Amino acid sequence: MIDFENVSKTFGKNVRAVRNLSLHIEEGEFVFVMGDSGSGKSTLIRLLLKEIEPTEGQIIVDGEKLVGMKRRRVPYYRRKLGVVFQDFKLLKDRNVYENVAFAQRVVVTPSRQIRKDVPRILTRVGLSAKYKAFPNELSGGEQQRVAIARALVNQPDILLCDEPTGNLDSRNAWEVMQLLEEINAGGTTVVVVTHSQEIVERMGKRVIVMNRGDMIDDRQISGSEE
Amino acid sequence: MRLNTIFYCIGQGLKNIRRHLLFTLASIATITACVLLFSVVYCVLVNLRYTMQTVEETVGITVFFEKDLSEDEIQEIGAQIGERPEIREMRFISGDEAWEIFSQDYLEGAEEMAEDFAGDNPLADMASYEIFLNNVEDQAEFVSWLETVPGVRRVNASSIAAGGMIDLNNAVGYVSIGLIGILLCVSVFLIHNAISMAISARRDEIRIMRLVGATKAFIRTPFLVEGLFIGLLGAAIPLGLVFFLYGRVIAYMEEHLAILAGFMSFLPVQEIMKVLIPVAAALGVGIGLLGSATSVRRHLKV
Repeated sequence: MIDFENVSKTFGKNVRAVRNLSLHIEEGEFVFVMGDSGSGKSTLIRLLLKEIEPTEGQIIVDGEKLVGMKRRRVPYYRRKLGVVFQDFKLLKDRNVYENVAFAQRVVVTPSRQIRKDVPRILTRVGLSAKYKAFPNELSGGEQQRVAIARALVNQPDILLCDEPTGNLDSRNAWEVMQLLEEINAGGTTVVVVTHSQEIVERMGKRVIVMNRGDMIDDRQISGSEE
Repeated sequence: MRLNTIFYCIGQGLKNIRRHLLFTLASIATITACVLLFSVVYCVLVNLRYTMQTVEETVGITVFFEKDLSEDEIQEIGAQIGERPEIREMRFISGDEAWEIFSQDYLEGAEEMAEDFAGDNPLADMASYEIFLNNVEDQAEFVSWLETVPGVRRVNASSIAAGGMIDLNNAVGYVSIGLIGILLCVSVFLIHNAISMAISARRDEIRIMRLVGATKAFIRTPFLVEGLFIGLLGAAIPLGLVFFLYGRVIAYMEEHLAILAGFMSFLPVQEIMKVLIPVAAALGVGIGLLGSATSVRRHLKV
């Protein structure tokens, strides 16, 4: 599903964010990418989103080569991905329903389809009762659920999460992780960037550890879910 | 782009105007100020030009002929002159007419003196043509040609008046181009900044759109629609102001600045608006679209 082939990314002249990374992620896998700040883990997400180009190497997602992809093709490639950020990035002037519907509107989904999909996805993330609420009326956990709903509403093959629990307390963080696991169980490939050792150990999934741009570990750990 | 997508983009553009009312008002105010300034400069310049045209019409050339030529011969030469393309208007003044005009102008109240010349017109040999040119700039060359025409005795033309007209005409032209150029640059700069601020405030929105898979055209269109409406509104306000204030300003000038008003000739507001409406609308829309397009471009690079 996702292949990094000898990928390096250098910012400026000397800042090596990723060094000679080769990595394969299977379809339907749940993978954590761990590491300290500046280890290059968020760079992986940005490379997958094609926000930045690798300095060397090739990335292949669902058979599509990202290096050399025509600019015109990029928006259609991105529709295969859903993305969730640490700071949620919700539109503050729109309510929950409109925030989720926004992701469908911008890819020109027919209104009838939007009216069906948005309530369904809000029910799935447990926010159907709060569809009229604005982001500032929701807790951090709820806001992240809205962000996840927005990322999922277009039914992406891959869900990329950049520190999705970074702004949440441990109870909300755990709820969000369980939601991501449910999504993964439905067949979506999930890649979660985190620096929380605790969550990684409790979840018991494959974990890739980055340090100063190098992949220093790639292993399957056994979980201890409560 | 599909029809419902176009409607969605237009709808979003209009919603954005309401959502970001402060930026919208700042942008409209900027365009209004620029278009108003342009309109005022245009009104002043176009009226100056009109005044000059009116003055130009009174700058004529008088051609006198050899004394031994008959009236028929003079009219034959006149026909030859009349073929020249530079001529706007040409009028034959016979010796009798010349005397009549002279009598009216200079002998009014001394009719007895005029009667002394009855039957012996002292201006009998002064038949002439009065010629007005399309363009006063052609006068020098035209006069040189007239002086070479066989039968022409003398050509009277005011080279100072004509030269002055040409200089003023050129000066007004250069000043207009300079002022309008500066205004345009200032307007685009201001609107670019205003819309840049508006777009910066929506950086997250644009980023989400990009990451969710919106095409560049889809992201850009609402901003262009916004720029278009801001431009139209920004142009409509100064146009309305010019329409309602133009007549009042002229009336004020005629009442309080009689010397200036006596020298100037003013075009009617309808004539001014005929040109100003499309030009100001194009200017407002152009500034709005250009400002939006250049501002949003920066955020669409990735």
